[in-house]
Amino acid sequence: MKRHFRELSVAATLALLLLLLAFTAPTFFAKQQLLTTLTTAAPLLIAACGIALVVIARQIDISIGSQFAVCSIVAGLLAKAGLPMPVVALGAVTCGAFLGAFNGALIAGLGLPSIVVTLATMVTWREALRWWREGEFVKDLPEGFQWFGFGQAGGQVTILVGAALVFALVVFTMRHLAVGRFVYAVGSDRESARLAGLRPQWRTFSVFVALGGLVGFAALLNAIRFADVDPKTGTGLEMQAIGAAVVGGVAISGGRGNLWGVLWGVLLLSCIGPALVFLKIPPQWEKAIQGAIILLAVAAEGWKNRKQS
Amino acid sequence: MTPLLKLTEVAKSFGAVQALDGVSFELRAGEVHAVVGENGAGKSTLIRIITGAHQPDRGTIEIAGQRVLHLTPATAHRLGIACIYQQPALFPDLTVAENIALRFEPTLAVRKINWPERRKRAARLLDEIGTALSPDAEMRSLSMPEQQLVEIACAVGASARIVIMDEPTASLTQQEVEHLFAVVRDLRRNGVGLIYISHRLEEVFALADRVTVLRDGKSVGTRQVRGSRGNEAQSNPSGIDRGPAASTETLSESELIRLMVGREVSQIYPPAEGDPGHVVLSLNGVGCAASGIKNVTLEVRAGEIVGLAGLVGAGRTELARVLFGLTPANAGEIFLNRQRVVISSPHEAVAHGIAYVPEDRRRHGVILEMPLAHNVTLAIHRRLFPGMWLRFGAERRLALDYIHNLAVKTRDPDAPVSSLSGGNQQKVALARWLATKPKLLILDEPTQGVDIGAKGEIHKIIRRLAKEGLAVLMISSDLPEVLGMSDRIAVMRDGTIAAILSGRSDGHEVMAVALGQK
Amino acid sequence: MAALIIECLIFTRTGANFATRENALEIMKLSVEIGLLALVMTPVILTGGIDLSVGSLLGLCAICFGKFWRDAGISWPMAAALTLGIGALAGRMNALLITRLRLPALIVTLGSLSLFRGLAEAITRGVDNFTGFPTHFLAFGQGYYAGVIPAQVPVFAAVAIMVWLLVHRTTFGRSFRAIGFAPEGARYAGLPVERRIMLAYVLSGMIAALAAVIYVARVGQAKADAGTGYELLAITSVVLGGTSIFGGVGTVHGTLLGVGVLAVLKNGLTLSDQPSELAGILTGVLLIVVLAGEVVLKRISERKTSPRAALFTRKGG
Repeated sequence: MKRHFRELSVAATLALLLLLLAFTAPTFFAKQQLLTTLTTAAPLLIAACGIALVVIARQIDISIGSQFAVCSIVAGLLAKAGLPMPVVALGAVTCGAFLGAFNGALIAGLGLPSIVVTLATMVTWREALRWWREGEFVKDLPEGFQWFGFGQAGGQVTILVGAALVFALVVFTMRHLAVGRFVYAVGSDRESARLAGLRPQWRTFSVFVALGGLVGFAALLNAIRFADVDPKTGTGLEMQAIGAAVVGGVAISGGRGNLWGVLWGVLLLSCIGPALVFLKIPPQWEKAIQGAIILLAVAAEGWKNRKQS
Repeated sequence: MTPLLKLTEVAKSFGAVQALDGVSFELRAGEVHAVVGENGAGKSTLIRIITGAHQPDRGTIEIAGQRVLHLTPATAHRLGIACIYQQPALFPDLTVAENIALRFEPTLAVRKINWPERRKRAARLLDEIGTALSPDAEMRSLSMPEQQLVEIACAVGASARIVIMDEPTASLTQQEVEHLFAVVRDLRRNGVGLIYISHRLEEVFALADRVTVLRDGKSVGTRQVRGSRGNEAQSNPSGIDRGPAASTETLSESELIRLMVGREVSQIYPPAEGDPGHVVLSLNGVGCAASGIKNVTLEVRAGEIVGLAGLVGAGRTELARVLFGLTPANAGEIFLNRQRVVISSPHEAVAHGIAYVPEDRRRHGVILEMPLAHNVTLAIHRRLFPGMWLRFGAERRLALDYIHNLAVKTRDPDAPVSSLSGGNQQKVALARWLATKPKLLILDEPTQGVDIGAKGEIHKIIRRLAKEGLAVLMISSDLPEVLGMSDRIAVMRDGTIAAILSGRSDGHEVMAVALGQK
Repeated sequence: MAALIIECLIFTRTGANFATRENALEIMKLSVEIGLLALVMTPVILTGGIDLSVGSLLGLCAICFGKFWRDAGISWPMAAALTLGIGALAGRMNALLITRLRLPALIVTLGSLSLFRGLAEAITRGVDNFTGFPTHFLAFGQGYYAGVIPAQVPVFAAVAIMVWLLVHRTTFGRSFRAIGFAPEGARYAGLPVERRIMLAYVLSGMIAALAAVIYVARVGQAKADAGTGYELLAITSVVLGGTSIFGGVGTVHGTLLGVGVLAVLKNGLTLSDQPSELAGILTGVLLIVVLAGEVVLKRISERKTSPRAALFTRKGG
């Protein structure tokens, strides 16, 4: 019980928020609205899971916003080139994995600090993308692109199912597969992991590749909601994803945190936007409130630790 | 009978430093083979080669008669070699069960975890060691001795045939040391070969069958410690009385020291001179709930050295931390030179004239990355640098002064302190605090991990400081050191002062009070 | 340093009007805001921390400044002073969370980045935009002394000298380094660790506010998105200048060089008719190349000579 305090308190806060909405703005729970809220949150969930892996390994990646944008554009272009959607999906994921591998090679291979490396790649990918696309959307996409060709309702369900499957896969890997436990070990004490033969360099590398792939997938899930691809998509993703992970109990110091907490964190942060609309609070407060929640969550953890030691 | 482990003419150098120079070593089944030597003698490198962390430049390694060409940590583990370090290589955020599991499970990444099996195995091993730790406890919440016990459980579970223990008793209480010795003897009975590294010569004599002495990267000899009757020596490792085995052993302590140092070194401590002066520090019922200190009443006078003895966990370092403001007192009164003071941070403690040379030299005593001069002036900014402006000339002069006074051996005064040996680092730590011209100097294990030569120098320095009027409170787990240096001995037990004995007491009395037998 | 010289050489060839005095001054003028942020980021990073919120704080302060002046009718010098106070307060908040609650600076300033930017957007409801400042105020951002030197350059120079002295010639700077190398070790040496860290972040906040006022003076308006991305440029400048992200190692003159490199890069590319995105790309590449280069060179030299430090991490040799 004590170990899952964070996850439970976030879930409780979410429940409170939902309760508040149930009384003041019940239309929030209308099927279509709920579906929209969830499908908007789905890509963030996948990205947040990915970033959680990296943070658990005691690293950070602030370039995922730019990765997201690049993968979205790539997905659009592949679709436009007439490739079938499964290939497009594969392409987006592979693109993300490559970008992640680039980060991983520098961080795990050369031992460069992850904050600086991902700072550099964030700027580089973003600017390169802007140069390439010159702000242009990817338009005239084939019919099979939006909603996977299933129409809005079908598409939304597909997104949710896809996200749920990937989430389940990640949860399973981190809890029940050795490779996931190795990531926790590496994040907890890198040197001990090396001595135990867990090969921290490879784990770190693969965690960045995994993040890249997950971001690619998230980009795809997001892109198919629209009829064209906006090159400015993904801005601020890193803040949201890291914020959701931290709120959900993933510690920046590495080695701890579980993905259910990330789920609650994502849901909480994602519900704030629509909740503001329904509670008739000006939407510009969303960012401020998200920032405040992140600070509160982290402060609460710090306060609790202080009392312990 | 083929030895479990045999190293022949093993050599290893790191750049310009020849850490091991043609060392031959042999470990038999069912023996405790101690390895002793001063700092820098090559003990750590020897261990690293045996565990596969480093590969030797030349020489051969044979395990159970089989030549091993390329020993890696993974191979060593497989061949039954386990090492228990002083600072266990564990994962603080994971549970005990998972920590143990990570040692035993294969490193294949794509594999399903069996959680119930993990918990069962951990529970079984912990039980075998005889400890009540829970497998679900988070490693971070365990104390250092508890963490070591987990390490030992791993070694036992690995059915290791060769177990290396590197300074295992440094942070254990007497009971835990007894326990450890019992485990060691058990392992020996089962035919395991143990390599036991320790600075504590009493332990070597209490536990080892043979001892090998390393000096400057070479082996200067292997001696029989006890006869082949393998007698069970009285387990009183910190006591001076070594029981019946002492009279017939093949090696004497002074001979052992001579082998280690290469010269005759008398373990004579500099004598006290003169009478103590006025009371500098007076504690009256001081307590700190958070760190378990209760009702401490003690006086330290100018010119006297009060030794603070007791078992690990008795609260000595905790008391020092209270006096230094790291964990402020919440009960009782502290008087400095008859004035009541409240100390709520190290910054305040320094302002009051209290100096503390901490136990963890590398992390707290000095800042390794900074040069000597910067370390020495770190505590006297306000005084040496009025108006907060740095004065490099004055700083350098002060540093050179202390290098001279304390005989710090350094090739380059501007090099980071990390390049100095342990003994010299300790001198730098000492210099930093002496520069504050304190009224009270608290020393926490001042010669731990320091080689014999530097030890003697530091003892002379401490006595000289006392003669000059400093009040010294010295925490030490080295009983001979406590007995040799202290004018009075305050023995702590369970967070309070159990008794204050004369400096002429003998070891038995001190240990008896510490153990609660009086 | 070498990078700077190479850059200048390249751009002299390719850029129109690059190597002129006007241009040099122009470069200085435009780099003042980021330069200020980079200057105060240096002590923060020296203590082993980081401040990701300075860019957003700049935006928030710009908005506050505008609001004080326009909606509260306060004279602009007074408004500027109040804004500096807000910056200091923001820095104090960051520092309290980091020191009292022992939270990692990365996550705290990430949160405050969102918070500050969010507040700026909320106050202006996303659209509001403060303009119409009096001309003698705008002169601070757009005017020139003796018709040549941009007005904000002396301010920048003054802050640069102050920060350099603070880091390299005072005990505060020494404390920053000690804290960066070993925060616990610094505490055991009796250094007032919390107070020093507070100083670093409060200074960072205050100078961010100053940069905000200069920004508004230069651009002529205060919008909520002011300063977006500035923190990244500031951190890049600091790291390029040789300061280690882990703390303890670094110089202020190095940071100034880093600022210079980035500023010249942007300016030179513009004058050479290159797309502005190239500046960003090259910045990222430069950062990686410099860091990677350091590591590679260190490995090559280690292979030749010194014993590995890992040898001496345990007691007894």
